[in-house]
Amino acid sequence: MNKRILLVLAAGAVLGLSLLPAGQAVPKAGLPVLTTSAGQSTDVTTLNIVLDEAVIAYDYCDVPTPEMVADGVGLGGRESGPGFHVEITTDLDKYPAGTPYKAVIFAIGASLKGMGASGLTLDAEEARLKKLIALCKQKKIFVMAVHIGGESKRGPAGSDNERMIDAVAPLADYIVVTKDSNKDGRFTKLAAAGKIPITEIEYALGLVDIVKQVLQ
Amino acid sequence: MKNAFRFSAVLGAIVLALVLAGHGPASAGQAPQADADLVTGDACTSILVGRDASTDGSTMTTHTCDCGTCDWTWRHVPAADHKPGSTRKIYHVSQYKTWPPAEGLKWDIYKKDFAGLEIPEVAHTYAYHHGMFGYMNEKQVAIGESTIGCQRKLQNPTPSARLDLTMLTLLAMERAATAREAIQVIGSLAEKYGYGFHDDGEMLAIADPKEVWMFEIMPVGPLWTPDGGKPGAVWCAQRVPDDEVSVCPNESRIGEIDLEKKDFFMASPNVVSLAVDMGFYDPKSGKPFNWKKAYSPAEGSAVSTQGRRSRMWRFYDLVAPSKEFKPETPNMDFPFSVKPDRKISVQDVMAMTRDKSQGTIFDPVLGIRGGPFQNPHYYKGTRLISVPNVEYTTLTQCRSWLPDPVGGIVWIALGVQDTSCYIPFYAGATEMPKSFALGDHFVFSRDSARWAFDYVDFHVQVAYNAAIEDVKAAQKEWEDGAVTRIVEIDRLAGDLYKRSPKEAVKYVTGYSLNNAQNVVAAWWKLGDDLLVKYNHLSLYNAQKRQRGRIPSADPAWWIKAVRAFDILTEPDKK
Repeated sequence: MNKRILLVLAAGAVLGLSLLPAGQAVPKAGLPVLTTSAGQSTDVTTLNIVLDEAVIAYDYCDVPTPEMVADGVGLGGRESGPGFHVEITTDLDKYPAGTPYKAVIFAIGASLKGMGASGLTLDAEEARLKKLIALCKQKKIFVMAVHIGGESKRGPAGSDNERMIDAVAPLADYIVVTKDSNKDGRFTKLAAAGKIPITEIEYALGLVDIVKQVLQ
Repeated sequence: MKNAFRFSAVLGAIVLALVLAGHGPASAGQAPQADADLVTGDACTSILVGRDASTDGSTMTTHTCDCGTCDWTWRHVPAADHKPGSTRKIYHVSQYKTWPPAEGLKWDIYKKDFAGLEIPEVAHTYAYHHGMFGYMNEKQVAIGESTIGCQRKLQNPTPSARLDLTMLTLLAMERAATAREAIQVIGSLAEKYGYGFHDDGEMLAIADPKEVWMFEIMPVGPLWTPDGGKPGAVWCAQRVPDDEVSVCPNESRIGEIDLEKKDFFMASPNVVSLAVDMGFYDPKSGKPFNWKKAYSPAEGSAVSTQGRRSRMWRFYDLVAPSKEFKPETPNMDFPFSVKPDRKISVQDVMAMTRDKSQGTIFDPVLGIRGGPFQNPHYYKGTRLISVPNVEYTTLTQCRSWLPDPVGGIVWIALGVQDTSCYIPFYAGATEMPKSFALGDHFVFSRDSARWAFDYVDFHVQVAYNAAIEDVKAAQKEWEDGAVTRIVEIDRLAGDLYKRSPKEAVKYVTGYSLNNAQNVVAAWWKLGDDLLVKYNHLSLYNAQKRQRGRIPSADPAWWIKAVRAFDILTEPDKK
């Protein structure tokens, strides 16, 4: 085996891509993109750092409603306030305010502390997510579900984390998980059942290359 | 509008009540109002005392384990020898995660959360006592803790970070014979295997009989991987000068660093380069690198944060009043450490951990805030050193003039400091009481030592300023008694150690266990006595079988305040 093959294999180990069926490429969605949280854990911060690293501008909102997403880039001019955070880094020259989003990325992970800070209960968060995804389906916005928190953002059936997964992953157009998050194969089974493309990555770093492929 | 009117009226009533009272229980000056959400966001306080700053030459550290729902249980881990080639499994340990007692004990269950990492084991691991963190090992290496936070970009909650803070302190206990070794153990493992996951910016007070160090550690962001060739943590440590004291009240304390001064500074190789890479420090700015400003900046002062960050000023004012530190001074401008006006005893440190800013503008019973019984917990005002949501407080003493098993002591006060009792456990003790390993917040248990202290605390709240005197009397007997008795125990154990270290260990174990058992029993009885004594907000004298009135009940200022409130909130009835 020459050095180049070894390097490719090593990169593959970091980036994952192992679960995509042979011949199937990473799905394409395009920009502009909105990032958000499913469960209000800090994993959405990791997701935003991934996009920064990929040099992809994005809009971010921790608790967007369907109406806000429908308003497109700039989220209708809404601003951060107590328990509500908005960050607009999308290039407004390229994608003026109001441009419909092509993709929404959900970082899945439940945090009672995070939900509490946003004034949400678990039930309210679940209901919000379902409405949000229904809107994405209606508007044909690409839904990408990301679970990068590992085992700590998992739990027994019916637990906070699993309810967040159930609210988003089965309806996603693409799932990306760390190996640690998918030790029990739950995401693989969900993807197979819904015929959803899925990529397993070793570390969050592996997501950088994936978002480049999906969004650019 | 009606609500708005009533709110204004209530505020007005309070002001009027203070005016009418004229002489409230504490000087009714201008007290800052705090944002309750901000106040509850803060956690533990840690005090550090150099050996020449203490009255007896011991180094000291503290940890007020402030949480409210966390685990409070303790256990002793014995020393062990390990075969060459053996490995040490690494587990993720959340500071906050607990399980119902019926499911088992945290320090058994946490092993279900294997971090997917086994590291080479050392030939011999030392014995130690631990709760939320490792606190004291048999070599007199001691630890205290305070969460300090870090820049958002540094957080790494992903599985690439294999090591949490708790696990790092346990490894330090197992592997380090000095404070400097502990720093190297924690720093090097965090660099190699990645730090973060459940934790981010953290401070550890790390001491041995000669030195006390402030050690601060941060993750390096979620994109770190072990294959990337870069350290998985960034850390820095500064030694507290031997004749000085310091504090960490949930904020980074290390400023400019001089790594040439090897006896005073240590750091990871990326200490400056990471800050440059992340955009936290610009070498071209002409300013020297400043650790806290780069990695964990926290603006504001005690006054500007409405007391939320008053602990820094309060501590410095307590230990060095002659320096006239101002509550308006930005916290980041406070010195790293200070020489106290007078040397500090173990009882002084106990008192500081109980401090509630009495007599200051942050006094929780200022005006009518404490109600008729002057309860410091009624009004959610500023953030004090002593708060009611504490799991336990530790005070470690490391003493160079005694052999290690006798020289090290971790004093543990279960529950809230003001109603609890510091109980000493020698470093050489080979057991901890079973009652210290049991219990949680949600199931009352008479088998759990901690509940004895909550039992007392609960009954003190009823008529605080009266009942706290009963607690102080018990503290005088059991806590002051232990401080006095320790001198004799030290002497006997020291003599025994010269003849037989094993016998000395047996002796300090016996003393630690017996004393703990007696204190816990005394606190259960104290709780029973308080229940009877202050039942129905009266004063029951069990000996005379008489019922009387609590002397501090219904003070004149309180009655005036109530009248004033009535007048202002019911204007139509005038």
